[in-house]
Amino acid sequence: MGNTQAILSEKDQKDLLQAANFSEADIKKMYKRFVELDTNKNGQLDPQELFNVPEISENPLVKRVISIFDSNSDGKVSFVEFLVGITKLASSTDDFQKKKFAFDIYDLNKDGMISNGELFTVMKMMVGNNLNDVQLQQLVDRTIIQADKDGDGMISFDEFKDVTIIFEIIMLHF
Amino acid sequence: MEGAELAGKILSTWLTLVLGFILLPSVFGVSLGISEIYMKILVKTLEWATIRIEKGTPKESILKNSASVGIIQRDESPMEKGLSGLRGRDFELSDVFYFSKKGFEAIVEDEVTQRFSSEELVSWNLLTRTNVNFQYISLRLTMVWVLGVIVRYCVLLPLRVTLAFIGISLLVIGTTLVGQLPDSSLKNWLSELVHLTCCRICVRSLSGTIHYHNKQYRPQKGGICVANHTSPIDVLILTTDGCYAMVGQVHGGLMGIIQRAMVKACPHVWFERSEMKDRHLVTKRLKEHIADKKKLPILIFPEGTCINNTSVMMFKKGSFEIGGTIHPVAIKYNPQFGDAFWNSSKYNMVSYLLRMMTSWAIVCDVWYMPAMTREEGEDAVQFANRVKSAIAIQGGLTELPWDGGLKRAKVKDTLKEEQQKNYSKMIVGNGSLS
Repeated sequence: MGNTQAILSEKDQKDLLQAANFSEADIKKMYKRFVELDTNKNGQLDPQELFNVPEISENPLVKRVISIFDSNSDGKVSFVEFLVGITKLASSTDDFQKKKFAFDIYDLNKDGMISNGELFTVMKMMVGNNLNDVQLQQLVDRTIIQADKDGDGMISFDEFKDVTIIFEIIMLHF
Repeated sequence: MEGAELAGKILSTWLTLVLGFILLPSVFGVSLGISEIYMKILVKTLEWATIRIEKGTPKESILKNSASVGIIQRDESPMEKGLSGLRGRDFELSDVFYFSKKGFEAIVEDEVTQRFSSEELVSWNLLTRTNVNFQYISLRLTMVWVLGVIVRYCVLLPLRVTLAFIGISLLVIGTTLVGQLPDSSLKNWLSELVHLTCCRICVRSLSGTIHYHNKQYRPQKGGICVANHTSPIDVLILTTDGCYAMVGQVHGGLMGIIQRAMVKACPHVWFERSEMKDRHLVTKRLKEHIADKKKLPILIFPEGTCINNTSVMMFKKGSFEIGGTIHPVAIKYNPQFGDAFWNSSKYNMVSYLLRMMTSWAIVCDVWYMPAMTREEGEDAVQFANRVKSAIAIQGGLTELPWDGGLKRAKVKDTLKEEQQKNYSKMIVGNGSLS
């Protein structure tokens, strides 16, 4: 498993280990998983590789989750992005982080605000063709009205925080 | 020349020993107990090695290295509970948590990908190939490992290769000879004898130790035998205890020769590659075979591909549409002595066989189970699932609904559409949308 050292630079490793309290064995395990998913062995996870896993491709929102992993928006997920992404939903991170994660799912253009169009797009992913666009738009409009305190027609992170409840999220155990 | 004479003498003594101790007893189905002694020594050695390893590594890392624990603890709650909803409640912004959590879980660890690679062992069994996490512990352990390598490669491997060679040649020659006889009960008896002898020789060539349970439920003539699939050796293991009619594609090369020879002695069902695509043709031929009560039971592996023996995947319904009695059989290998799983994308047949022959041994349990038939009002898919559950429970394997074909094929979109449909039903259910 000497490859782990080649992927992460010394500094990145230290930062990560500090931030997430991962041991070397933990990182090895996650590297093993990364390699399992990386079917064409180019050191990056392309969305296409992920969609070959049935449990991944059956999830309507997985494209959004992948783009959150992909922090530099190059369309692929590197091992560092993979590790960082896992820590985001680990049970040790606080509620703020978790709500931020959910917010990022909606915020397609990463500008810190959820617009009407963005909410529509994400909801469309969740319901597919089972609701027509008019019905969906109604739902979207109603949701925004309920959450939008400052009346700008968009949902900021503060407004989002107030209306969402956290469920018990992922339990990481090593 | 003296050297050549000496070599010749050694070779002939060795062959006589092999003949006397291994081949002859195989004909009569008798065991001389040599393999049992070998297994006892092996088990003692591995136990000793495990204790040494545990003493050597610090306590916490043993718990952490436990291979059976995954990276995350998965939440198996269904969509309704996960969205903490009653039916028909409105959409909420937090709904996205459920899907993103599930998506996240699937990325980190899913049920299917892990089944197509070999199972990780909890403690090392002194084979380099299973050495994932373990470091250098002590000199003695390394010495034992070196001894193990020598024994396996220099002593066992040549012996096993010789046996395999003898076994296969006998099979081809024997079945061709028997095939010359006219059809009669003598022919059937001889054909069974040849098959059984050669299979026993081949099993010994892998140092196989097989325990058969519940022999009273052994598949009868005119039935269909159904089992979970881990490797091509499954066939060998089952045919050592009884004769079956095989079903499969005609291959070229060595396999083809074996197939053609076998079919002369007793009626197996081999298909051309083009015929396999025609499901009606396949079903028809199989139906004809089982209708003849004198013919041997058919052996089928409904998963369609090799799985790593920790789980049972979807049974294809084709085998269950033929009718007739199904005799389920569960096969479970003990991974401590050698990993039997054939990862066909990683190893081809020859390197796989070499790996088998350089492992310690192949140890497995075979459970015969009571016969099952399709019930009234049950369709082929439900019947297939019922049989699959029974086999999974008996063998102590996890049961999965996924198709083994996913090893190579792409996933369909229908799964995602199912999820979307369910979710939409939830938020629209009470007609809150006008």
